[in-house]
Amino acid sequence: MKYGLFPGCNMPAIRPDVEHAIRLTMPALGAELVDLEGYVCCPAFGTFPSMDEDAKLAVNAWNLSIGEEKGVDLMVECGSCFSSLKMGHEHICHSEAKMKRVAELLEVTGKKYEGKNTVKHITDVLYHDVGLDRIRKAAKDRYKGVHMVVQYPCHTLYPSAQVGFEETPGKPRILADLVEALGATVDHYGCEYQCCGGAGGFHRAAHEPAMEFARSKLDSIRNETKAEAIVVSCITCLMFLDKVQKDLNEADGSEKYAIPVFDYNQLLALSMGFPRDQVASIAFVDRSDFISKYTG
Amino acid sequence: MIALGENSLEMYKDVSQEEDFKFCMTCGICIAGCPASRADPPLLIRNLVRKVILGQEDDLLNDDTPWTCVTCSRCEEVCPQDVKPFEMGLAIRQWQCKNDETRLPPSLVELYKRGYTQAVDKSQELRAQVGMKDKLPTITEYPDLLEKYQKMLMQIEIIKANDYMFGG
Repeated sequence: MKYGLFPGCNMPAIRPDVEHAIRLTMPALGAELVDLEGYVCCPAFGTFPSMDEDAKLAVNAWNLSIGEEKGVDLMVECGSCFSSLKMGHEHICHSEAKMKRVAELLEVTGKKYEGKNTVKHITDVLYHDVGLDRIRKAAKDRYKGVHMVVQYPCHTLYPSAQVGFEETPGKPRILADLVEALGATVDHYGCEYQCCGGAGGFHRAAHEPAMEFARSKLDSIRNETKAEAIVVSCITCLMFLDKVQKDLNEADGSEKYAIPVFDYNQLLALSMGFPRDQVASIAFVDRSDFISKYTG
Repeated sequence: MIALGENSLEMYKDVSQEEDFKFCMTCGICIAGCPASRADPPLLIRNLVRKVILGQEDDLLNDDTPWTCVTCSRCEEVCPQDVKPFEMGLAIRQWQCKNDETRLPPSLVELYKRGYTQAVDKSQELRAQVGMKDKLPTITEYPDLLEKYQKMLMQIEIIKANDYMFGG
């Protein structure tokens, strides 16, 4: 198992503790990671994909080609990066015209892309390539009986024909299964399959509605579950569901929203004994009690 | 009321070369469950597709709602006619940019100049704090690659046409 780690931009720049958790846990589970020298923004949907289709596909191909040259698939945590790259891969590989256009644009760079590799989300790698057994052994039941909820990264679910890796895309379960492999109990709630609302232009163009959208999810979690943590596997879900709790508390003048949010690999890293200051040190909602209680 | 006589009926050809959106039967399932349908004004992707089909050029040019999309692509999953509403939203943004350069997102310039919007290369201190001493191999570490990347992008018509934005 060998993958090209595509870190994107938010994870290395704002939440490098997540990146470190990934860099420590994946090789320990048998998934070797290599760097992608000269990689650029995926490109994010609000950038080249909103300006020109050829530019979008050329940039996708630039990134994919770095992995292809090394003979590895790209492994991505960020939902948006995953979706941009995977949809780009599908468009390029299923259209001769697009493949030809991408080759023309890449020519001046000396690079080429032939569609020999693909893009995988980290939960796909964890579930299908690493496997639950190996994770169970590594995690040693540190979170036995701890209630948690999951936030599925929307970009890994839809459109399932292009990006999906769940057996039942409309009824995802991979992230919940992964969390249960850590020994935790996954609680379910009404707004479980609603996206976080933090991606794209929504929360920038419509901040209040986006906050209320998130509030409905957080209230659903608070009212219906015993969750001590929200588990995500997308940097946008992580940053948004963490920050929006602080914003809602400030708007309300309360301290009502205080559910720690973790990227899956952070929980994994903590349970495997990696130091908390390296793998889970950056957050708005305080996570120290949770970490001390369960992983020491 | 839509004044059909005043519309540019062949405008759709400029928006999308794909055929899928013509099959839209205006059911609205793309709107049901869309997070940005709660924005004010709401993103109503079905209505945007109608505007394209009916050639409501001025209306569509001035419509900001395609930019509030959360990009979850749920609409793409549930559309019974395979209209690919999410990708139509992006196609409309592209069409707006081509007809009105003020629509070009400022982040494009950052992407062109350093490959990124977030200053990944400037986060070394924070990265070191969490124990990662090695620099990330982003494109700014390889000036020759950055030059090639920019050369690739400068072949794109709309970037060439607005090269003053990108530093010429």
